[in-house]
Amino acid sequence: MTVRHVTRQALHVLSFVATMAVVVGLLKVLNWAPGTLEPGLMARYTSIDSAVSTLGIRKVYVPAYFPETLSWPPAVVLAQSKPYQAVVMEFTRARDGQTVLVISQAASTLFEPDAAIRCRTISEKVPLDLRGRKATLEAGVREDRSACSRVEWDEGEIRIVLTMKAPPVQLIRIAESMLH
Amino acid sequence: MDLTNLLIAYPGIYVVQAFLHSTSAAIIAQRAILAWNIRSPVVRQKFYLIAVFAPVVSYPLYQWLNPDRGSVNFRLGALFDSGRWINVELWNVLPVALLFVLVLAAATAVFLFQELIPILRHRSGPTDPASRTEPAARGSPAALAAEGLADPAPDIQIVEDDDPAIHSVIGRSPAIYLTTGLVRSLQPVELRVAIAHEVAHMRRSRRPLLIVAYVVRVLLFFSAGTLVAFRKAAAEEENICDDWAVEATGRPDALAAVLEKLRHSDAYEIEGHEAGEGLSSIEHMSYDLMVRERIRRLADGESTTATTGDWLKFAVTLASIVILNYYIV
Repeated sequence: MTVRHVTRQALHVLSFVATMAVVVGLLKVLNWAPGTLEPGLMARYTSIDSAVSTLGIRKVYVPAYFPETLSWPPAVVLAQSKPYQAVVMEFTRARDGQTVLVISQAASTLFEPDAAIRCRTISEKVPLDLRGRKATLEAGVREDRSACSRVEWDEGEIRIVLTMKAPPVQLIRIAESMLH
Repeated sequence: MDLTNLLIAYPGIYVVQAFLHSTSAAIIAQRAILAWNIRSPVVRQKFYLIAVFAPVVSYPLYQWLNPDRGSVNFRLGALFDSGRWINVELWNVLPVALLFVLVLAAATAVFLFQELIPILRHRSGPTDPASRTEPAARGSPAALAAEGLADPAPDIQIVEDDDPAIHSVIGRSPAIYLTTGLVRSLQPVELRVAIAHEVAHMRRSRRPLLIVAYVVRVLLFFSAGTLVAFRKAAAEEENICDDWAVEATGRPDALAAVLEKLRHSDAYEIEGHEAGEGLSSIEHMSYDLMVRERIRRLADGESTTATTGDWLKFAVTLASIVILNYYIV
């Protein structure tokens, strides 16, 4: 293997790396552009107030009851006003900063909320009367066999979904406190 | 259900992501061939076939690997989120979703009128009822030229026509069709190398990879990236068959001469492409460019053998495309 051969191969590798870098850069620009053309697409916000004032969201459903073990304010706030309103809030456990509760509200049933908490298996799925609303409650376990639960219902056009790393009892209390 | 909702439901997401993944794969494959300086048409064809095969399975595979790939958080961290564009209205009147659907429709029309219908016609053999067709007689120039190229010998059919043309049909009754005009205009060695090229097509048409590639191409009829990549792969197929013909006859100069003669003929019909009628000048130009590139390649005697290094480069490119497309949602 000659020096010339090695140099040529190195140039090929560099050329390929440069190609990939250009493609990645181009994709990033293309991903950034819609935000400038159409303000209101999904983005991270520092607080609920900031999302509400920037996007003009009329109402954000926030629980009045909040277990002491959870940190306030939400660690992550994601929101959009286009093509429909949607807000996602992630709450962490004060002790270790782990995401334990995700609340999402969206004016579309196709909205796929944040996946920070995902139940691996659902052992129970039952209808639930939530202060006069027809809700659906799911209970199951996560990948690490810890309990998880999920409740969802519609407030007019808004679909509200709560997912928590906890048995349903606490989740129902939180959900009910959102309908004060 | 409006257009945007259609595109963000499961079938819509499949179409969008297959489109995006094939486009990015086609661009990367094309650039990678240049960057790695790949010469072997066999390897080049495999590069293009990445863009044909990968998008069919990429979306379900990625979702299976990570069910959270469609979530808000993943999309926010992705390299490219199609959902951001699909919701945009240019100048508040023109939805990007509508433009996207128009692009899909255009790619579908190209597939129907330039690929599917001509290929179906081509497979059924010559359709001109005025042309008399009969098997090449034993001892005739065409039969002599085909001797020893394949076992069993290919079925050679002579079409009564003054325009020089040659093509093969596959399927239940595979055969090579030559016009009397072609037999008259070529030297014996040129006739032999032209038939050898068609024999190579007939042999390769039975390869499972190419059959599956065409099935996949049909499945992704709406994808512009697949369309381009498949055509590039088809162009490489011509080079591969050229190489086989040269290897079988040892006469690259004769094959180049055949291509030149066909280029300058009035009919200019090769491999089912008809330049005379029905094709736009742009398509004719691009086809002519391809033929000229084949002639140049034959004249230069380009190295065609794939090396171990080529396959390593292929693996790196494939891995890069798979990883990059994972972040295109």
